[in-house]
Amino acid sequence: MGTTWIIIALVVLFVLFAIMTYNKLIRLNVSVDEAFAQIEVQLKRRSDLIPNLVETVKGYAAHEKTTLENVVAARAKATTASGVADVAAADGAVTQALRGLLAVVENYPDLKASSNFLALQEELGTTENKVSFARQFYNDNVRSLNQAVKTFPSNLFAGLAKVGAREFYVVDDPADRQAPTVKF
Amino acid sequence: MAPSFRGLQLANRRKTIGLLAGMGFLVLVVVYAAMTYFGKTGVGVLPIAVGIAVASVWGSYYSSDKLVMTMTGARIIEESDNPKLFNLIQEVCLASGLKMPKVAVVEDSAPNAFATGRNEEHAVIAFTTGILGVMNRDELQGVVAHEMAHIANRDTLVSAIAATTAGAIALLSDFLTRIMWFGGGRNRDDNNNNQNPIALIVSLLVIILAPIAAILLRSAISRRREALADATAVAFTRNPAGLRQALEVLQSDNTVVNQRSTAVAHIWIESPLDSSSVSKLFSTHPPLSERIATLRAMEANPEMGNAG
Repeated sequence: MGTTWIIIALVVLFVLFAIMTYNKLIRLNVSVDEAFAQIEVQLKRRSDLIPNLVETVKGYAAHEKTTLENVVAARAKATTASGVADVAAADGAVTQALRGLLAVVENYPDLKASSNFLALQEELGTTENKVSFARQFYNDNVRSLNQAVKTFPSNLFAGLAKVGAREFYVVDDPADRQAPTVKF
Repeated sequence: MAPSFRGLQLANRRKTIGLLAGMGFLVLVVVYAAMTYFGKTGVGVLPIAVGIAVASVWGSYYSSDKLVMTMTGARIIEESDNPKLFNLIQEVCLASGLKMPKVAVVEDSAPNAFATGRNEEHAVIAFTTGILGVMNRDELQGVVAHEMAHIANRDTLVSAIAATTAGAIALLSDFLTRIMWFGGGRNRDDNNNNQNPIALIVSLLVIILAPIAAILLRSAISRRREALADATAVAFTRNPAGLRQALEVLQSDNTVVNQRSTAVAHIWIESPLDSSSVSKLFSTHPPLSERIATLRAMEANPEMGNAG
């Protein structure tokens, strides 16, 4: 009699634990999806700013053709990207092209002082921050998910929940590469 | 090795739990002392004290957003009133995954800011006109992140729990000393004749001193939550220098927010109370110099800026 109850109690506890772990894995996986959607929203915002920026720069520095074309081409390529690695690569290309454009702007004081550009400056700054915070938040979420998928005991339920480790959003940025990184 | 924000968050969370447990233990000690001194009547007042403390604190917890707004004179603003500030807050929302809070402004030239509201949905973050005028973008982003960190860490709830416990202890002590004053209470049926006089004196001291101990614990919890909010802010922005510079601006500024209501002192980013009049042990905030030093140490961490 007593042992039956103990067995029933253990089974109930196990089922409760399984449900909780299953739900946790699903929740983490959904958070990663949401975080990725947020990156795309912010990339779209940045993409929408580019035509206005290009027009503004053209008005003062029309002969900086290659730089301007780089930005337009990178933007066009980014609109068709899908999947984490592709989106991240296209994002990196746009980021770099924009950085090149803003470096060129430095040589045109009239452009920098123009009311159009000043209005764009805060927008560009905050958009760049938003894109990078969205990336950071996505990677934090992937980190939590991957930890749950790979560590015991939640790893036992990953197959059941059809949840696997996800890809980090890595932007290949030469400016970052110069910063010394120490791994432990 | 330079401290990481993850380590600091963990340490401050653990210390909060330790301090809250300390407060729970203090309640038990007071109840035990009351039983030693008064017998069963000592326990009788416990539900009354806890009931009053819960009723008075949780009403203000539930409507903390509205209450604090009224007490500080904060005014809700829209995105069109200050698009730059809203950009900064949206950035930190993306970094933290929190919902956009309501934003408010307090007309005051002293630089300061606070966050309140019982949960993410009812969160309000407020800035004085002084802080908006004196800080650059990175500094203000650090301040926004610190306030959003309070929301993420549910600090309105934590301080409500601490206030309830401290309040219950204060009421308990008050009731018991009153009963003592009127000479009653000592239960004659409880074999009082073989009670140890030293135990009685110790119980008396415990009952009288417990409220001070409760206030000290409550202040210590508040200080831990401030340190935690600094670490969480760095987790959001990965830019300890911004918040550090913001605190340096607050440090070099001598003006103090023009409200001395001690009831809401703990919610501001910098304590509005004159530091010289408040002993370090009773302070709701760690000293600015200490917070600046911790952030500076985090800047040396190679992990900074590496989101992976």
